[in-house]
Amino acid sequence: MAATTKTTGIGAALRRKEDLRLITGRGEFTDDFREAGQLYIYFLRSPHAHARIIKIDATEALALPGVKSVLTGKELLADGIKPLPHHVWALHPADIAMPNVDGSETFMAPHHAIAVDKARHVGEIVAMVVATSVALAKDAAELIHVEYDILPSVTNTWDTVKQDAAVVWDENGSNVCGDVETGSREDTNAAFAKAAHVARIETWVQRVTGVPMEPRAALAVFDEGTGRVTLTAGSGGSVRLKYDLAHMLGMKSEDVRIIMKDVGGNFGTRGMIYAEFCLVGWAARRLKTPVKWTAERSESFQSDYQARDLAVTAELALDKDGKFLAMRGSNIGNAGAHTSNFSPLQKGVEIMTSIYNIPTACFRARPVVSNTLPTRPYRSAGRPEVMFVMERLIDIAAREFGFDRVELRRKNLLHKEDLPFKNPFGMIYDNGDYHAVMEQVLELGDWTGFEARRAEAKARGKLRGIGVANYVDTATGVPRERAEITVRPDGQVDVIIGTISQGQGHETSFAQLATEFLHVPEDKVNIITGDTDVVKVGGGTHSGRGMRLASIVIWKASNEIIAKGKRIAALMAKADPAQVTFEKGHFHAAGQSLSLFDVARAASERNDLPDDLRAPLYAMSDETVNEAAFPYGAHVCEVEIDPALGTVEIARYSTVDDVGRAVNPMIIHGQTHGGIAQGVGQALMEEIVYDRQSGQLMTGSFMDYTMPRADNFPFFDAGFAEIPCTTHPLGIRPAGEGGTTPALGVTMNAVVDALRDFGVTHMDMPATPEKVWRAIHRKA
Amino acid sequence: MPQVTMQVNGRSVSGEVEARTLLVQFLREHLELTGTHVGCDTTQCGCCTVHVDGVGIKSCTMLALACEGANITTIEGLAKGDVLHPMQSAFSEHHGLQCGFCTPGMIMSAIDMVNRKGHALDETTVRKELEGNICRCTGYHNIVKAVQAGAAAMKGA
Ligand code: FES
Ligand code: FES
Repeated sequence: MAATTKTTGIGAALRRKEDLRLITGRGEFTDDFREAGQLYIYFLRSPHAHARIIKIDATEALALPGVKSVLTGKELLADGIKPLPHHVWALHPADIAMPNVDGSETFMAPHHAIAVDKARHVGEIVAMVVATSVALAKDAAELIHVEYDILPSVTNTWDTVKQDAAVVWDENGSNVCGDVETGSREDTNAAFAKAAHVARIETWVQRVTGVPMEPRAALAVFDEGTGRVTLTAGSGGSVRLKYDLAHMLGMKSEDVRIIMKDVGGNFGTRGMIYAEFCLVGWAARRLKTPVKWTAERSESFQSDYQARDLAVTAELALDKDGKFLAMRGSNIGNAGAHTSNFSPLQKGVEIMTSIYNIPTACFRARPVVSNTLPTRPYRSAGRPEVMFVMERLIDIAAREFGFDRVELRRKNLLHKEDLPFKNPFGMIYDNGDYHAVMEQVLELGDWTGFEARRAEAKARGKLRGIGVANYVDTATGVPRERAEITVRPDGQVDVIIGTISQGQGHETSFAQLATEFLHVPEDKVNIITGDTDVVKVGGGTHSGRGMRLASIVIWKASNEIIAKGKRIAALMAKADPAQVTFEKGHFHAAGQSLSLFDVARAASERNDLPDDLRAPLYAMSDETVNEAAFPYGAHVCEVEIDPALGTVEIARYSTVDDVGRAVNPMIIHGQTHGGIAQGVGQALMEEIVYDRQSGQLMTGSFMDYTMPRADNFPFFDAGFAEIPCTTHPLGIRPAGEGGTTPALGVTMNAVVDALRDFGVTHMDMPATPEKVWRAIHRKA
Repeated sequence: MPQVTMQVNGRSVSGEVEARTLLVQFLREHLELTGTHVGCDTTQCGCCTVHVDGVGIKSCTMLALACEGANITTIEGLAKGDVLHPMQSAFSEHHGLQCGFCTPGMIMSAIDMVNRKGHALDETTVRKELEGNICRCTGYHNIVKAVQAGAAAMKGA
């Protein structure tokens, strides 16, 4: 827990540069943009979970004055608009491959932006209305007559694999899109045969949705002169969106421009192109008029990619002393109606054994489709789910076989001497001190003082429980990133970078990097992102890659700036370049001191420089980082339950996350706080509910989807460790997902502990007051 | 179409609106005051909070026509020139915002809270009073700190 007093550069808890515009109402979110003469889009969406589209009659709608167009799947196909370019598996070299056991290909089906034959989930787009106002477009949508042949549906994950389940994609014959086995079945079964104890769990890590507070929106402009489409929209990254949009519209990538200013949250939910983004661009091009669409929240609930939704059965084998021997089980990942993203399944199963020394393991992993919204990675994709399973299994084992929960963890946690460690699925954890971090958080959470607090709560009629959970994250993602740095003679440094901030504060923390390397004050550093005419390469923000990759390319580009600067300074001072030094922002050569900006000015003014040093003073670093990072840590959570109401209050929450090297501790703590809230939200209240019979989405607004609020939390005790990561040249580990990854498991461990006197050994999430009350009062 | 006139951030404004036009639509679309945000359609999120005659109101749930003659303050009207309102400064100083989308509503609600509950706000009060404002980024920790600090700073201001 580094107490830092630095006021500049890496390690400074600097206040954010982006704040001023955001606190004065001058932020620039997508819906804040408008174009003269813009038309408005409203999407008519399927009210059915599964239905064949027989006929669409838009005659009446089109007759309304002001309605410019109604487009359906028919026009979509006729115009050659391509399906969404999904990549279902993570392809980073550090992630494990997911081949089917029988050698067959993973099933993939085209995801059209508008349903062409069947609607496969409630909310799937059936028609797009373009009109002179939103209200009019909505009125017109009500006049579109769609004839549906309603089909049986399947939404529940366990149900998808049953023999008699409704089949979402007839082409596949079943809902199972892949059947993968990873680890060693033989060794695992042999280990189980010798086990003294076997702990078991069957659980469903429920579906949730990301809910970035800014609803999605898009504004598209078509330039008839150049034939270019410009789309203003918020996403996980601008460059990927440019290529994906160009692909779907059948355009050259240089004919598409993406503009992304302020983005109101992401968490993975915005990580991939959406049907609506393509359709807005298509409409603008087709009608040669600017068009705009802004989602209403209820529309977000039926159109934003959803998340989690993993059905797990798992077993942990232990010897008589509590040493873990092996682990096995089966994971079913519900991808929703389209074969869009299976990577949460993959990224979970590859670290099923977490950071415990488990010699062997074997898991089956099946991605399935269902009549639900497509899912995709959401804050720490796949890992919170499996960390929940591991940490619950340990508590179950401790309780059932009479071990102390903490001792059991101490006995099996990998020691720092064991690292690097190849886990049974082939993932190689780099380094860290798992024991030290767990001990730190136990102290921070005052584990030893807990029983007194439990007794005190009991005297007040409350049930108090405590839990601990360790975790590891695999940070991979798109491996390539680029930074371009220009030192301007006017005293400013421009840094172009291919990531996008959706609240992470890159304008500040990335400026701190440039400050650290180039010794220029942060307020002179301009971080430039989000316009693909300026930013050509970059992978956006996901999988803990923002700071991790940006720091590498900004560092390398800075080094090149300094190297170039030394050569220029040498020429200016008539010195030997090898003798020039760079200190505190100045080049020292032959007794002269030249600032970075003096040198930049010389580069633009002198005509005696070799070609590669001519103005501007510029450097680019373009790197492909094929190594993964493994942030890890431990959380302790303490809850208090009111047995009369079943309500769960978070009484204390402590964290220690190893971030390797903290660039801006204030921002890191903020990330942790927000991450905890999303994890606790899943543990205690959030759930996307579909009616199991009709497939209807039951949680379609903030009235029925419970969002965490300020009074659901205490102040958090967030700490961090800084053990430099060995797979990163600066030692930095990602810090954005650690708040969430163990939060599901630790919260539920605390809830189950609070209920231990009522015979409760496990509870599926979310631990709502109703569920808790029933557990206490033994009412099913 | 009916005409509506009101004072917004000290300026008299008027416009023609449909009867169904919401105050937030009037602010954002007619006056281009886009600092007031829309985060939901069920009056839950508080992103749209403004002050109507000095009282915190969710502008997504009030018709523009109902504001005839009213005195409205939005996030854009808080700072006096370059001098930020103490609550604005507190949000930045305490890192009470990440993406910033909920922030205008949070700040407007926080000031309303101080107006109603005074300057010495304990944690429980702040948390309960923020019931109508949702933030997805911050886990509320630093928002609560910011509101407490901003409330205290408003006393001196
Ligand atoms: S937009 Fe007004 S409460 Fe959500
Ligand atoms: S700061 Fe993003 S929603 Fe509050």
